[in-house]
Amino acid sequence: MKFLVPGKIRHKLNGWVIISGIGALTALLPSLYILTGLLGKPNENWAHIREYMLLDYAVESLLLAGGTVAVTVIVGVVLAWLTTAYDFPLRRFLSFAFVLPLAIPPYIAAYTYGSMLSYTGSVQAFMRNTLGWTVDQRYFNIMSMKGAIVIFSLFLFPYVYLITRTFLEKHSASFIENARLLGGHPVSNFFRVVLPLSQGAIVGGASLVAFEVLNDYGVSKHFGISTFTTAIFKTWFGMYDVDSAIRLSGLLMSLIIGLFIAERWLRRRRRYHLPVNRSTPLRRMRLGRVPGVIAATCGMVIAMLSFFIPVAQLAVWAVWTYEDVWNDRFFRMIGNTLFVSAVAVALLMVVAVIAANAGRTWRSTFTLVSSKLLSMGYSIPGAVLSIGVLAVFLSIDKRLAGLYEAMGLGTNKLVLSMSLIMLVFAYIIRFLAVGFNAVDAGYDRIGDRYSEASRMLGYGMTATFFKVELPLIRGAVLTGAILAFLEIVKELPLTLLLRPFNFDTLATKAYQYASDEQIHQAAIPSLIIISLGFVSVCLYQWMGRRGKG
Amino acid sequence: MKKKYIVKSLLAALAVVLILTGCASNGGSKKNDTEGSSKGSGVVNVFTARHYDIDFAMFDEFEKKTGITVNEIKGTAEELVERMKREGESSEADLFITVDGGVLNYAKESGVLQPIESETINGNVPAELREKENHWVALASRARVIVYAKDRVTPDQLSTYEALTDEKWKGKVLARSSSNLYNQSLVASLIELNGEEQTLEWSKGIVANFSRDPEGGDRDQAKAIVAGIGDVAIMNTYYVGQMLHSKDAEEVKVAENVGIFFPNQETTGTHLNISGIGLAAHAKNKDNALKLIEYMTSKEGQEMLTNGSFEFPTNPTAELPELLKGWGEFKKQSIDYAQLGVHNKKATELLNKAAWK
Repeated sequence: MKFLVPGKIRHKLNGWVIISGIGALTALLPSLYILTGLLGKPNENWAHIREYMLLDYAVESLLLAGGTVAVTVIVGVVLAWLTTAYDFPLRRFLSFAFVLPLAIPPYIAAYTYGSMLSYTGSVQAFMRNTLGWTVDQRYFNIMSMKGAIVIFSLFLFPYVYLITRTFLEKHSASFIENARLLGGHPVSNFFRVVLPLSQGAIVGGASLVAFEVLNDYGVSKHFGISTFTTAIFKTWFGMYDVDSAIRLSGLLMSLIIGLFIAERWLRRRRRYHLPVNRSTPLRRMRLGRVPGVIAATCGMVIAMLSFFIPVAQLAVWAVWTYEDVWNDRFFRMIGNTLFVSAVAVALLMVVAVIAANAGRTWRSTFTLVSSKLLSMGYSIPGAVLSIGVLAVFLSIDKRLAGLYEAMGLGTNKLVLSMSLIMLVFAYIIRFLAVGFNAVDAGYDRIGDRYSEASRMLGYGMTATFFKVELPLIRGAVLTGAILAFLEIVKELPLTLLLRPFNFDTLATKAYQYASDEQIHQAAIPSLIIISLGFVSVCLYQWMGRRGKG
Repeated sequence: MKKKYIVKSLLAALAVVLILTGCASNGGSKKNDTEGSSKGSGVVNVFTARHYDIDFAMFDEFEKKTGITVNEIKGTAEELVERMKREGESSEADLFITVDGGVLNYAKESGVLQPIESETINGNVPAELREKENHWVALASRARVIVYAKDRVTPDQLSTYEALTDEKWKGKVLARSSSNLYNQSLVASLIELNGEEQTLEWSKGIVANFSRDPEGGDRDQAKAIVAGIGDVAIMNTYYVGQMLHSKDAEEVKVAENVGIFFPNQETTGTHLNISGIGLAAHAKNKDNALKLIEYMTSKEGQEMLTNGSFEFPTNPTAELPELLKGWGEFKKQSIDYAQLGVHNKKATELLNKAAWK
């Protein structure tokens, strides 16, 4: 056991660490609350859960997550490599289009494709009515394990793509150009240089994908796949057993913490130290005519499937249902969605930066574990996390009851848990991982030397942060903010339960229809969500380009 | 230097907190009547797990008529119950609305409801559609029926839910997954009527006759029939109603090509899934809450509801829309709906045992 000597503590303990310590503790409470579910004695339902659900459902979950991660890594990395290292027709458009699927919530995509490919869907209706073909239904059945992997992969691969591309664009040039100079075959360069070099970025993206899949309920429920999350909800909604549901979530959470530790441990010696000097961007090689056309075609197919086709289908449905669905309340919903997302993103990024900074200056197992725990919110189903958040806020409210009374708000009042604060807090806990990963990667990239130089030249930590580090990691902060924004705009289970009275967002509206199988009616709110995502992706691209120049 | 930044950041954080709490009380309610929600003048706070446009249209209509503002928080029923339970006496909830008798009973068992005392409501809704001590009253019901392919099946081949396990339906039965409430509730009602053992056998029989693994929603089962994947499906009537009124011509075609059969007419009756409303145990706007229940169960409210959602009204004086009239009178399961809550857990376990996905 290694303990810090007192003198060292005094030296290391500064405002940053204290603030992030307090923040971490608060933010950890809901996750810890769920983990404590593991401690109690299992009740009489547990035997049934263990016998009929636990193992089977966990296996299905792993298959789904494993399959999706495999496909997204292959697709994401290859596309990232292709668009950074080569030039081919439509490259600029495609490198932008590959980010767009992030704007589409996977469960909306699942409903859209499920409906499109169904017997009455546009695809089969066209074949039947226009072409006169009768088709075998089996070929159109997307509602299966394979189908779910396809849906998740189409709409989650951008995580891997985006993070890997950002990394390759900025940091791989010298390695790759050396490899090229040394006459390496492009394929062998890809496997021997690009892959090992970008493994950190790939793992970062892949873990976001795995989290999304593991905590999903919408897609697997609609497709009839029994995942671990299904087990949690069957226990809660079918057997009315919240305690066992929390226990299952605790199990899921510890499984994921285990994966984290294993990943760290496996990669402990394989860290690549990148040159910190601003490396020149990679020079793109022109692909020949045939390979260029092939690359463009494959890229177009992926872009069509993962964005343009579902959006076109939703647009058709939106036209059908426009009269029934559209009303002035949508403006309010758009306002609500934007407001709560913007506030949550701003706070989230502040927390992410503080946490990343503290973790960097005060390297210890404690900060490592707590920064990982802070990211835990991303791994468990939102509905369960919402119970953790609710528990924390209700207990704060009860403790503050005296204060509320003194303020003249009335006795027995719930103030915090009836306000947006609870929802914003929940968003931060849930999506901190997204912001934190991006900022942490940014810090990794600049290394310690700028900060050290600044400190030696007399700036304090805070001044160093604002004057030296922040300008350097601005891009990373922006990436994190955009990704978090995209997530929050689409977020559903937390918003559903934790919002104040009458606070409708676009996502809750889309859910209202989709949950009642009125997928056509859900098209309008879904399209607005997608447009917001689209605008933020454009903004991000534009700022990125401006930043370069 | 350092202090300045920290002070600045703390001030910024404080400002955000103030803005957010401000929004909580201003942006929260529809009108600027924020204090009302705490003082009990002119508002009623609804926790609802029914997310249908028609419900909100009814709330609007009620607001227009009475001037009482309806505030709502939505969620899944079990989540809302959990929230009310945890909030305890401080809870702002006045009313709880949800689909499914089982959940209503769970809410009652969790102690978040209190008896509704109103002669008007008792007059609106028959006793069998109210909980024994009036902890909740039913607002609407859907029949879970057998839908069949008109070109391959004749109604005289059909009789009961139980008969669907017959050898002749091997590879022809369709149903959605067992994580769905409607199926759990149907199975819970069969447990009440036929006992656990028989119902387990029944579930296994249905699983053995499945034409494919359960997937999709109720509408998808109807589509699968017309696509020729199976011949009969267990689904709710009101989805057929919605499909008939769909903007998608293909969906209308599907709805036209399937028949609706009300099973168990000679025996125990067709299973109804009910939606209901309960008065929160710590309701602070009790009078307004009762007024809203009275309105929602009135002839007028019920007619609005059934025309909007194609559910069956629970007020017998309400006139049915043409579509529902066309389906005719049918015998309903006569069971104590509160028992569904008691059996729901068993139903889930049993469906797991039968490997109904």
